Amino acid sequence: MRVPEKYYDEVFEFAGQWEVASKCGLKIVERGDRKVVIVTELYQDNPGTSVTAAAGLLAAQVCRAKGLKIDEIVYLECNPDTNSKLSFYDEEYFQVTFTEMDGKLTQPKYRQLSAEEVKALL
Amino acid sequence: MKFKLIYPRWNKLPGQTTFNLPPHGPVVFAATLPDYVEVSFTDENVEAIDFDEECDLVGISMMLSTQVKRGWEIAGEFRKRGKQVMFGGISTMLHAEETMEHADSVFLGESEGRMEQVLEDWRNGCLKKVYNYMNQQPPIESVGPARRDLYKRDLYNHKGVQMVDLFHASRGCRFSCYPCAVSYLGGRVFRPRPFEKVIEELETIENNRLFIVDNSLAQNKEWEMELFREMIPLKKKWISHTIEDDPKVLDLAAQAGAWYVYQAVYDTSDYIKERVKRYHDYGIGVEGTILLGLDNQSEDDCKRLIDFLLEIDLDLAEFTVMTPFPHTKGYDDLMRQGRIFDFDWNHYNAGQVVFQPKQMSPEKLQDLYDYAWKSFYGDETQESKMFRLFAKVMMREMEDGTYRPRDRKLVNKSFGKEVVREIKK
Repeated sequence: MRVPEKYYDEVFEFAGQWEVASKCGLKIVERGDRKVVIVTELYQDNPGTSVTAAAGLLAAQVCRAKGLKIDEIVYLECNPDTNSKLSFYDEEYFQVTFTEMDGKLTQPKYRQLSAEEVKALL
Repeated sequence: MKFKLIYPRWNKLPGQTTFNLPPHGPVVFAATLPDYVEVSFTDENVEAIDFDEECDLVGISMMLSTQVKRGWEIAGEFRKRGKQVMFGGISTMLHAEETMEHADSVFLGESEGRMEQVLEDWRNGCLKKVYNYMNQQPPIESVGPARRDLYKRDLYNHKGVQMVDLFHASRGCRFSCYPCAVSYLGGRVFRPRPFEKVIEELETIENNRLFIVDNSLAQNKEWEMELFREMIPLKKKWISHTIEDDPKVLDLAAQAGAWYVYQAVYDTSDYIKERVKRYHDYGIGVEGTILLGLDNQSEDDCKRLIDFLLEIDLDLAEFTVMTPFPHTKGYDDLMRQGRIFDFDWNHYNAGQVVFQPKQMSPEKLQDLYDYAWKSFYGDETQESKMFRLFAKVMMREMEDGTYRPRDRKLVNKSFGKEVVREIKK
């Protein structure tokens, strides 16, 4: 169940929950005046916390590492297509927005993108 | 130093035959405590907790999500009495942040080689709020025999029949299945224990009947075959999860004492039908595990699956509804889609619907779950089917000279309680 490399430009290492060493795929694309940040779950190649469980923790680390501001980006979580026979591993994209509280990104809210939206963005 | 180790009770699923097996996690943990520690173990599923028993430190070991709220209550009682409480175990790892609110300390990860330091911190009055070893698994060679001497054996006995002992030959799992948190808990690298350690521990277990609790034995074919070869002389009889679908492996498993296996039945294909038949061809029984409520299942699909079970000659079946346990892909997906409506961990027993299924209402899925149990066990009760499997193992034990008759002193007891016999007039 290896994630195809087309989903990411680099493997981003981050401190997951309990500071567990974790990895995700990362792609940053420019769309007009906005940067679209896509974090992709790597499943068997991620030894730690999933991108969804890491949520704001991960978003903050990506922003810090890449010099971005959360309110100036579109932040997406990607479930990659792993060519699995199981439909649970099909491709899906979710836009995630957070509430900033005490300097932390909390209360993630998710919106699944339609196929058209994904196509337009990527 | 006296360490009181507790395994909290949980509410069993209604309408199902309840067997209390001796829990594995607490006695594996107890084996990692230094020799100077005197351990008093209470499994609340079979006996009451004495909150006033003299002790220096309390440890609460939890495996299931349905134990966590009771674990927190127990911690509250001890902390009221001025005792410090630390938590560990699988569901502590799944529910760590919430558990921290009820604990003096939370231990995350595997405890081999760690407890000397933890107890020194406690002695020095500087017990840490969190001991996080989630990503630092100890060398697998350091896993020693579990402290099964802590069990009060009579409490794990049903009408004179001793329950199986739990045992593990490996940790970690190379698979990362949709509803399962094992890869989060034990790592995604399969870590087999050295064969000499496995055999050494098996030889110390007096019980001839075991449940090998490894997530899947089908992780590495060569390892699996060698494990079975090593086990043959011990003449144990055992239950396990899936075994590799290979005639050579199945043959060795049968020789090593495979009694029955848990096998996922996820569709109505000929492959599943033949898979079950192949187990049976080698004299291995099959308990089908059926997960209902996945996104690709309609009401008709579920009904077809339930009907199919009656055609494929399963020995037993266990039905569960999809449950989004934290740190699973299932949880992540349903969380993002806003489909989880119940976060009461007491309801996360895999028999109660806590999310919005994709192709039916939660009530319909609950009805299907009840229908599944009723239809599978409609003609023959669960207890009767279990007895048939039990009779098979007794026959095999009689053939190889390992059979031990039931304990006559305990024929009127079930898990420590008097058996109430109803005599029909």
